[in-house]
Amino acid sequence: MALFLARRLGKGILVLLAIVVLNFFLIRLAPGDPALVMAGEAGAGDELYVAQLREKFGLDQPLPLQLGLYLRSILSLDLGYSVRQQMPVGRLILDRLPATLLLTGTAFLISLTLGVALGALAARRAGRLADTAITALALLFYATPLFWVSLMAIIVFSVRLDWLPAFGFETVGGGYTGLARAADIARHLVLPSLTLGLFFMAVYVRMTRASMLEVAGLDFVKTARAKGLREGTVQRRHVLRNALLPVVTLAGLQAGTLVGGAILTETVFAWPGIGRLMYEALLQRDYNLLLGVFVVSSAMVLLFNLVTDVIYRVVDPRIEAAS
Amino acid sequence: MVRLIVSGAVVLLALAGAAVAQAPKPGGVANAVIQPEPPGLMLGLLQNGPTQMVAGNIYEGLLRYSETLEPKPGLAESWTVGPDGKTYTFSLVKNATWHDGKPFTAADVLFSVEFLKQTHPRARGNMAKVTSVAAPDPHTVVFTLSEPFGPFLGVFEVGSLPMIPKHVYEGTDYKTNPANNTPIGTGPFMFKEWKKGSFIRLVKNPNYHVAGRPYLDEIYWHVIPDAASRAVAFETGKVDILPGGSVENFDVPRLSQMKGACVTGKGWEFFGPHSWLWLNNRQGPTANKAFRQAVSYAIDRDFARDVIWNGLGKPAIGPVSSSTRFFNAKLGQYSYDPAKAKALLKQSGYKGETLRLLPVPYGETWQRWAEAVKQNLEDVGIKTEIVATDVAGWNQKTSEWDYDIAFTYLYQYGDPALGVARNYISSQIAKGSPFNNVEGYSNPAVDKGFAEAAVAVSPAERQALYDGVVKTVIEDAPVAWLLELQFPTITRCKVKDLVTTGIGVNDGFRDAWIER
Amino acid sequence: MRRGPLAAFLRHPGAVFGLLVLVLVVAAALLAPVLYPTSPWRMVQRPFVPPFTLDRVPLGTDALGRDIAAGLMHGAGVSLLVGLVSTLAALLIGVPIGALAGYFGGRIDDLLMRFTELFQTIPSFALAIVLVAILQPALSSLILAIALVSWPPVTRLVRGEVLSLRSREYVQAAVVTGQTTFTILRREILPNTLSPIVVLASLMVATAILLESSLSFLGLGDPNRMSWGFMVGAGRTVIRQAWWITAFPGLVILVTVLALNLIGEGLNDALNPRLSREGR
Repeated sequence: MALFLARRLGKGILVLLAIVVLNFFLIRLAPGDPALVMAGEAGAGDELYVAQLREKFGLDQPLPLQLGLYLRSILSLDLGYSVRQQMPVGRLILDRLPATLLLTGTAFLISLTLGVALGALAARRAGRLADTAITALALLFYATPLFWVSLMAIIVFSVRLDWLPAFGFETVGGGYTGLARAADIARHLVLPSLTLGLFFMAVYVRMTRASMLEVAGLDFVKTARAKGLREGTVQRRHVLRNALLPVVTLAGLQAGTLVGGAILTETVFAWPGIGRLMYEALLQRDYNLLLGVFVVSSAMVLLFNLVTDVIYRVVDPRIEAAS
Repeated sequence: MVRLIVSGAVVLLALAGAAVAQAPKPGGVANAVIQPEPPGLMLGLLQNGPTQMVAGNIYEGLLRYSETLEPKPGLAESWTVGPDGKTYTFSLVKNATWHDGKPFTAADVLFSVEFLKQTHPRARGNMAKVTSVAAPDPHTVVFTLSEPFGPFLGVFEVGSLPMIPKHVYEGTDYKTNPANNTPIGTGPFMFKEWKKGSFIRLVKNPNYHVAGRPYLDEIYWHVIPDAASRAVAFETGKVDILPGGSVENFDVPRLSQMKGACVTGKGWEFFGPHSWLWLNNRQGPTANKAFRQAVSYAIDRDFARDVIWNGLGKPAIGPVSSSTRFFNAKLGQYSYDPAKAKALLKQSGYKGETLRLLPVPYGETWQRWAEAVKQNLEDVGIKTEIVATDVAGWNQKTSEWDYDIAFTYLYQYGDPALGVARNYISSQIAKGSPFNNVEGYSNPAVDKGFAEAAVAVSPAERQALYDGVVKTVIEDAPVAWLLELQFPTITRCKVKDLVTTGIGVNDGFRDAWIER
Repeated sequence: MRRGPLAAFLRHPGAVFGLLVLVLVVAAALLAPVLYPTSPWRMVQRPFVPPFTLDRVPLGTDALGRDIAAGLMHGAGVSLLVGLVSTLAALLIGVPIGALAGYFGGRIDDLLMRFTELFQTIPSFALAIVLVAILQPALSSLILAIALVSWPPVTRLVRGEVLSLRSREYVQAAVVTGQTTFTILRREILPNTLSPIVVLASLMVATAILLESSLSFLGLGDPNRMSWGFMVGAGRTVIRQAWWITAFPGLVILVTVLALNLIGEGLNDALNPRLSREGR
């Protein structure tokens, strides 16, 4: 297991470096640069002003040198300095990361538990009304534009019914501490995590259902039944457990999509996470910050993949049999 | 001098009296929206809109300006102009202190001028004719100019010449000074906390130099990136102040009709936001004067105002905004006249080339406007294709002259010499800036007229000179003027005296109070 | 009791419904220039006409007074185009990479899969946004960006299929008879991977249409094309006073994406009977 982990980590770091180099050049292909954006926002500016900014940002250096400097600082775990926000990128991202982790984590838990439960139910009732209803519902969520359902949710639950806050992370100036603060954040979390989670829930429902139906037809399940085990036990111990393997793999693959989806959710719900930070950094051509967000979010995805791989090994009965 | 101080005290008493009559109540918290999140709050280093709006509470200038652009006391309590129009003497308030407790003196003014000449492009231009700044005593500052400069008394507001603390910045690298993250000014509110991505919190300055002000205890500036969410924030009562431009125009009528909501278009007189289409005078069909005039006649400005800007603003009839000095209503020429546009188009020899139309990347309103103008132009036979781009791309394309027709809007700063001439004189044709003569218009008579009008001493003389220039510019149609924009400030009516000057919300919340 | 794939497909009520919807969408795209010959951008009525009030504009008008119905008809073509072309482009990238990786295995497989992994690790929506920002919003940029973020699943699928087909006897026979790799891939292997690719592609078209609308929502759509995504994006700021501007195109996206998914499921049942529903 240790060797497996070490190898995976090494591979992950290589992938990360490749992502850094790729994005370093990609983002510089975009028209304009941070100096022009800032001059533009100032509503005034001359050649001197823009030149001063470029010099200050180090943009007057040759590109390979800039890349070299950046890679060096990355390797020493320093994400550089955001010239625009006048702060180290690492601090900016750390400030925002908890919000994104909370949002995506909650959405992931919601989607996985609901998805697997509903998917399993649908598989057991295959062909009957419950199955049709669940499958239809899953399809519906799968086909709904995420931002659209978010807007509708705000209008219904915040504006019309006034049940939940429409946006933000917590009540600013509310002065809550401890448990009261946690409850306040939880209330703010409901709409964003639900709308983000429902889409992915649909994915897991479909995967769990299909996978369970496939496993249910396999010989070892028939054997288990023949042994006279109760149907509930068969479903739980044999079918679901094996059917979850592809679901786990899928969850790993979906991690990147989940982080991407967070950009839309964070925008609509004014959630102060790194997805929004990334979009703003892109518009402002804040190169270091944008690269930083890419590095961190890609690292999150890699880490998540690693975790799912470990889970896979733990769940996989063949490995269990071998041990 | 003694008399001046007395008169100052009388004015203060009178103000206090007026205030008592309206019974402002001290205390309370103001919740406002800031959009987009500013890159920083050090007004001497950053001059973009959101920075000015928040930092206008922290920093102060020597003067403020009324809605008719008359100078009012700021950090200077009185001022005199020499008879030759070349010396300006300011008497500073005596009891002003920086937020860290150090006194504000003439030395800070001298330092600020030098500081801003390095970092503030507009201040650099405004101070170009200043040959010396002197401090005969700690509370007097004398500016000496090389020649008269008509608009000079109009360049001392907080956004144009903010006062910077000498003791914090002297001898440091301004741009990396750690104090930039905890800005220190003399203003009515002090910087307290900035949770990036969420809010900026300012608190009352208890030692503010105007007795009894400010009334508010705290200001929260909320960062809400989505326009629809900002509107909801106001509706659900999370914020009480939506500064101009923070919600989409389509939301303005609904929000202002809400119970307890008040709306004002005031507070933009000093800026006079003026919008037009840059027509590239250098190349293609837009190099032809008849074609450019055709564009001007093809555009339905009333439709744009009524439908896209919800009836706010007025058609721009020429280079000078009606809120700017020396505006002359008699000089307008272009109205919506598609037939005339078609005739001019024929005369120009336009062969149906497709032109690139560049919208301003500032949200839905501008996008809709570009779509409407595209239709206007198509209706008279001009083919265009909208080039979508973000802020960075827009700045690059306009400052590199890579466009055929481009939307823009710029501030006029109260005087044609400050905010109008730069877009039409040939010395301002230079790549690298989206604010100068981007269209590439060049007319020696116009260059001469603007130059003479800037240094003429008497207002009557300046008026005559500007009338002549403006007439020529309108005939040449180097750009197609669109609308004088209005960015309405929407507030809960219980917020009183928020906008009291021609600089509006950017001038700080010094007089604002909340009715309870 | 095996029947033909077509019969299996038609026995699937959802798939039939999906097919009907798709036919309608294609018809709308084809008929748009006939029924609404003028540009969908033309301002034909006063702004914010509610739906079902004026016969001339049955679905109402948007913030500028443009006909929503005309926009939906013209948008059908654009959305289908973005969906189809970007999916084709993604297949063009994904199939060869997957086929080569699966066929050769070893180092080549390792290298190609590392490359694929790279694209799967970067959050795809974020990458799409950056790509559109670089290329500047236009139809071609959207298509390219969507294609560039959606090919990795194709690669993984094709690689897996090829890997399992490679060891089959008839492929081995072809190798022995000295056919070139290219010929073997083209004649013997790829045709047999077609059905899962078709199923995946139908789902990818749906995802591409959703992606396009998401990008438009963020203001990264093509400003010269009336697409459904653009319409939702343009209507969202006025969603409170004019729900129909956002609701109709949103609904049309939903129904179309739903239809494509149903078709995908139907195809899956028809072409991969191994996975078909039980209990029927």
